[in-house]
Amino acid sequence: MMTSSLLWLTPLLPFAVGLAMLLVRDRRVLATLDVAGSLAVLGLTLAITGRVVGGGPVSALGVLRADDVAVLFLVLIGLLAVAVSLATLGWMRHQLARGQMRADRLPYYYALVHGFVATMLVTVLADNLGILWIAMEGTTITSALLVGFHGDKHGLEAAWKYIIVTTIGISFGLFGTVLVYGAAAHAQGGVLAGAMNWSSIVAIAPRLDPGIIRIGFIFVMVGYGTKAGLAPVHMWLPDAHSQAPTPVSALLSGALIKCALFGIIRFHTIARAACGPAFSQGLLLTFGLASVVVATPFILAQHDLKRLLGYHSVEHVGIIALGLGFGGRLGTYGALLHVINHGVTKALVFLVAGDAIGRYGTRDMRLIRGLLGIAPLAGTLMLMGAFSLAGTPPFSIFISELMVIQAGIAAGRYVMVAAFLVVVVLIFAGLIHHVGQMVFGTAAAGASREPESAVPMLGLLLLAAAMLLLGVYMPGGLDHVLVRATEIIVG
Amino acid sequence: MSVDLATRLIDVLGALLLFSTLLILAAGQLFRAIYAVAVQSVFLAIAGAVLGAATGNPDLWIIAGITIVVKAVLLPWLLIWVVRRIQIPREIESVIPINATLGLAAGIVVLAFRLNASLGPVRQAITGNALPVGIAVILLGVLVMASRRKALVQMVGLFAMENGIFFTAMAVSQGMPLIIEVGVILDVVLGALVMGILVLRVRSSVDTDIADLESLRG
Amino acid sequence: MEDAAAIGNVVAQAGLLVLLGPLVTGFIQKLKARLQCRQGASLWQPYRDLAKLLRKGTVQSDSASPFFRAIPVLVLAATVTTTVMLPVLWAPSGPALLPLGDAILLLALLALARFLCAIGALDAGGAFGGMGASREMTVGLLVEPAMMMAVFSVAVAGGTTDLVHLAARRATLPALSWQAPDLLALFAMLVLALAETGRIPVDNPDTHLELTMLHEGMLLEHSGPGLACIVLATHTKQIVILTLVAALFFPLGLAEGSAPVEIALAGAAFLAKLFALATFLGLVESSYAKLRFFRLPQFLGLGLVCAFLALALRIL
Repeated sequence: MMTSSLLWLTPLLPFAVGLAMLLVRDRRVLATLDVAGSLAVLGLTLAITGRVVGGGPVSALGVLRADDVAVLFLVLIGLLAVAVSLATLGWMRHQLARGQMRADRLPYYYALVHGFVATMLVTVLADNLGILWIAMEGTTITSALLVGFHGDKHGLEAAWKYIIVTTIGISFGLFGTVLVYGAAAHAQGGVLAGAMNWSSIVAIAPRLDPGIIRIGFIFVMVGYGTKAGLAPVHMWLPDAHSQAPTPVSALLSGALIKCALFGIIRFHTIARAACGPAFSQGLLLTFGLASVVVATPFILAQHDLKRLLGYHSVEHVGIIALGLGFGGRLGTYGALLHVINHGVTKALVFLVAGDAIGRYGTRDMRLIRGLLGIAPLAGTLMLMGAFSLAGTPPFSIFISELMVIQAGIAAGRYVMVAAFLVVVVLIFAGLIHHVGQMVFGTAAAGASREPESAVPMLGLLLLAAAMLLLGVYMPGGLDHVLVRATEIIVG
Repeated sequence: MSVDLATRLIDVLGALLLFSTLLILAAGQLFRAIYAVAVQSVFLAIAGAVLGAATGNPDLWIIAGITIVVKAVLLPWLLIWVVRRIQIPREIESVIPINATLGLAAGIVVLAFRLNASLGPVRQAITGNALPVGIAVILLGVLVMASRRKALVQMVGLFAMENGIFFTAMAVSQGMPLIIEVGVILDVVLGALVMGILVLRVRSSVDTDIADLESLRG
Repeated sequence: MEDAAAIGNVVAQAGLLVLLGPLVTGFIQKLKARLQCRQGASLWQPYRDLAKLLRKGTVQSDSASPFFRAIPVLVLAATVTTTVMLPVLWAPSGPALLPLGDAILLLALLALARFLCAIGALDAGGAFGGMGASREMTVGLLVEPAMMMAVFSVAVAGGTTDLVHLAARRATLPALSWQAPDLLALFAMLVLALAETGRIPVDNPDTHLELTMLHEGMLLEHSGPGLACIVLATHTKQIVILTLVAALFFPLGLAEGSAPVEIALAGAAFLAKLFALATFLGLVESSYAKLRFFRLPQFLGLGLVCAFLALALRIL
């Protein structure tokens, strides 16, 4: 009883906090509510994790359900919410000081962010595949408003592209959901209670008609793949990531596209059981490799810092898809670990980048020089984050990328592994080149040399600690959850 | 109403749905496309009522009612209101010639029906030809959105696409659970509102169509 | 004896169509006039026009060849011949006694009439004639294949291309047995009928403005009885197209035997169908503007796609 109400409470809390924020006018109260709300979300997700680790999956009325896969994404969202809230404290002060954010619109901003977090939480907690879809579209609506929040021409363009492309995309996802539901209803011989629930569909998955599941999975893959930013349907991602307010970019890249991947993983599990692993894994490999390859030239030739990071997200989503596509325990385990690693690292780098952009007043990487000199902590974190993103030890992404490559070799996909390695090396060179130039050297006279304030940095340090820790040590609890999540997916 | 009769009626309504989508594709004027999607929604609501009568599931009647109110009246009205508000030219510009899109459309429909023909007995789970019609209407909706330059026409394409999905969803066994359908419709309405806001904001600040903005590249 | 009766039937039906042709045109004109709040010309005006033309003499361009004189007669002959292939009142369910021709021949004859008309217009050497001919053939290029596909779609379902036979077979089916291809074929035919009967939004039958006319442009060089023949052919073609739509899609009320009651019913049903379709033409003509010529392929493309889908879905 207690546990199932936890499931309800988790998304309802940020939703209620968001509504309450609409009534608040005072800036300080808003910021406090923001941080407190995020901390409460993290607390709730950790509480759910405790129950799931201790007593297996928990379900609430057949609508929400938390198993080990969901828990991974839940904790990621909670962690990022806290880090982003802390970083927002500093970021918002600068925005207001420079007049880029109007004080009277602050309540809407905070409320939308909490609504965004709430919809993401519903997405990963959903058992009913219809609820999963509704929540996913909910994330689009809330975050589209956030992407265009500044109201300038570029922001609105990015928001339009984002909402149109992802809405088409997840409409495909809805159709795929309908087909899977139809197959399940057919296999059950009529509509029984919970025919749309993932848990009950998975239980009868081997009996589902492979033909219709195949069509359904293609639709889901294209649909949720659009939202996840997989090439070739990633068009919206660099635009939205670069134009959104920085904390929102961090949430988009760190958490949102992972939620879409969560949807794909749910359907992948069904499709694996219904029509054998080869089909859905092949599709995942195609999309994954395409993403990794397509992102490369844009990363190398990029001048806009946030677009660079956006394309980088395309690459990393591709790596996760490759991990799932190579399959096996190792590949799936690696992919899930990569979800956490990339989420944490990318959010960190986005937040640091936001700080740097604030200091230099530009997103053009050619004009950002000597960050280490004017902001030692941010500069260090930027350098660490970049090395981690490029896949260097001792940071966490190295571990998960290595697992994905091992899984590829084990699966005998040598050509793909080779292509992947070449691309990773190229991206390493490009990224380190860009970041090296930004971090070292001497800063231009116009750059803000304001000392770094402690509380916002706390959020960044939290993420950096997670990034470093996961690179050198695997906590037993996390390992346990990952192993069980892998079992749920691979069986 | 017998199941057999319902199947035949669904087939006919499916053809009407396809035809109205073709009308949207062939429309040279914005208002005609909007009216076509409104008419399409009426067909969708009739399909819901037919299936409701055939299966005895009251949920489908409710969905049919909501469809009429929201999709046949509210959303087209919203589009027309936006059009009046921003005073844009009413002619639809196409990226590729309209005839080429019609040719593509023919190919898409044939493909969808072929795909359906390749399925096994699971086809029984979906009444009549709702599956191929659904696939065809979705892909045609994407075609509209991809080939037309105006934000509002892209929204029309999106609504057509949603109609296709709903058509198939209604015809699956006894339709999706009511709560899910209502949630989906709510999302569609909210999405349409947000899109409308974006269109109006761009029009008021830079006086171009939002779909024409192309400054973000590379 | 049976042959004689069959021949009598066919001739009676053909005569009925030819005689009714101008009335349909008159009806559409009257309907349009009323919708525009005008009194309009009498229903019988097309007949009076024909009578007037027949009384007049012929004036012919100097540059026209002797063949030019034969054109109107040939056009009329080709068009009138099509009337014998349609079920108007009778549709016996057995095999046809007089295999006079099927849908393919009907469409071919209409195409032949169109071709002759265009040849005649070019022959006279006038600028408008050439322009009208070129436009008419462009429209024909889009309309004819689409029409064939729509007709074939129904023919595949009926298992025959003989229209009388086809109508008899489809008349026995229950009322709601329409399938998706039937509907699509009907839409295609309705779009194409607008083009084939030379009505707005494809063509404007009421104008002699050089920018807008298609069919009328080809008739400019004809005069007197020759013009009367071509005008009658136009009226006949219109009623043939409408009867074709009725036979393919609404084959209700056709008589099987020759009992007077049956025939009276069939006649009433035929008139009802005919004037319903004519009303459709009139309403469309009153509520739409003529499309610019280079917009036409888009409009007709809709018909073409529907016809193609009707055939493709039927075969799949």
